[in-house]
Amino acid sequence: MINAMQITIIKRDLRSITSNKRLFSVLLIVPLVLTVVLPLIFILTIHFAPDDMGDLQKMLDLLPSSGQLDTMSRTLIALILNSIMPIFFMITPIMASSVMAASSFVGEKEKRTLETLLYCPLSLKQIFTSKVLASFILSMVVSFASFLAMLAVVEVATLLTTGSMLLLDISWLVTMLVVSPAVSLLAITLIVSGSAKAQTMEESQQRAVFLILPLLLLIAGQFTGVILVNTWVLLGVGAVFAILALLFMKSSMRKFSYEILLR
Amino acid sequence: MKAVITDNLSKTYTGGKKAVDNISFTLNQGEVFGFLGPNGAGKTTAVKLLNGMLSPTGGACRVFDIDPSEKPDQIHQFSGVVTEHAQMYDSLTGLQNLVFYGTLFGVSAAESSRRALALLGQLNLTDAKDKKLDTYSTGMRQRLSLARAMIHHPKILFLDEPTSGLDPESVLSVNNMIKSLAENEGTTIFLCTHQLRYAQEICNSYGLIDDGVLLAAGSIEKLRSLVFSGMTVSIKADHFPKDMPSTQIGERRYEINVQSEEEIPSVIKRIVDEGGNVYHVSARRLSLEEIYFSLLEKRIERRGKK
Repeated sequence: MINAMQITIIKRDLRSITSNKRLFSVLLIVPLVLTVVLPLIFILTIHFAPDDMGDLQKMLDLLPSSGQLDTMSRTLIALILNSIMPIFFMITPIMASSVMAASSFVGEKEKRTLETLLYCPLSLKQIFTSKVLASFILSMVVSFASFLAMLAVVEVATLLTTGSMLLLDISWLVTMLVVSPAVSLLAITLIVSGSAKAQTMEESQQRAVFLILPLLLLIAGQFTGVILVNTWVLLGVGAVFAILALLFMKSSMRKFSYEILLR
Repeated sequence: MKAVITDNLSKTYTGGKKAVDNISFTLNQGEVFGFLGPNGAGKTTAVKLLNGMLSPTGGACRVFDIDPSEKPDQIHQFSGVVTEHAQMYDSLTGLQNLVFYGTLFGVSAAESSRRALALLGQLNLTDAKDKKLDTYSTGMRQRLSLARAMIHHPKILFLDEPTSGLDPESVLSVNNMIKSLAENEGTTIFLCTHQLRYAQEICNSYGLIDDGVLLAAGSIEKLRSLVFSGMTVSIKADHFPKDMPSTQIGERRYEINVQSEEEIPSVIKRIVDEGGNVYHVSARRLSLEEIYFSLLEKRIERRGKK
């Protein structure tokens, strides 16, 4: 399905991001802050906070019994790990894939290298697929690398502060394997379908904000306890995202022509 | 098989601008075709149409018997394109760029790099091969683009203003390269330029275009026959027969039109017989530039009458 020439394009796209210091630092720092620094701050705050937090205990008592662990600190950490952190694993792939897709589609147009690429003996669809795949691969690498980093930091910090490690919720499986790839595809589609109109990279990256905004609401929802997303809801949402992304991708592919791309 | 056939090819952009208007011509394999006209005449649009980057709004075209609007990727397999809009990656070196495009055209990495080094040598870029493109000058980029377009041994090369930004020395090396490609490898060259004198040096057939309309196409002899196929003889003499149709262009300088060289001796003989002294005689045919402008004038006259 993917031939050697397409792999050449994918490799070059990936290398162009890693060799661009400005873009690459964005790709490193944002996930690092969201998935490593932030949870560490949470855990340390919980550890150093005064033991007597009666109000908080009352609030935690409201949680379903499955969410209750032996100590308050552990319950809190588990709550943050399993309910708040997954959202960051939606933001991270959106960020990574939109930075990459903007550079790979609009950035190439801006630098006039897209036209050269179009003169190669690949069909428009093959070029399109390669570029989408490059963005997707990068976003998944960033996402899984952040996941491993987060897991290591959270577990070690929990072990040191509470004496034992925590179990991951089953919903993480859904987050990493369904939701995160799906939102990443959705972000790529948004950028790509706007790439014909956008003249600069910045302009096209701004479109990803439309995806980030609802997620910010979700974070607020999780913190205030208005919405408690369970595994099944998550799976449903992920599936819907994935289907939407594939549909959008198909329709924007159909709209593409050399003429539109080079305008 | 013809290299290029266009049949009433037209392209009107969405804004309503008619960039190419009912153009018909054919190109044989191995021909060096000069597609000539001022900036904005429709040359680049024609190149894009022939490579499938644009789809025609009227008529049709075929490149080596393939319709570009249907199977552009097949044409790209054997065509090389140089235009100012097709740039390469600044973050890669000259050699890396060439190898990247070579692999894209299905040439193996080892073969690409062998071919790239040979082309870099021919285009005097060997010293710059390991420098990143952002340090390249316009002329160097232009030459690297040429190398890029040739990396896969194309059957047809589309060169859109290939010598813009080049110094005279580089122009010479590019010219030699184009000539040898056509003569030794049978590559068909489709060369767009607004520099008519430059085109006359290397092309063997021409298409003259203005404002999207093809004024004429063919060899220089054919184009000349549309205007004036004879020769203009300029003579410097202290006497000129009064009854001979001539134009005086300066003191003791006259110009006379003849159909062929055979007529020149009799003219000179008459001057001498009548006691005149001849200081200088030179004959020349119409240059491409003169043909272009006189065809252009004719077209404007025709349009004026309408």
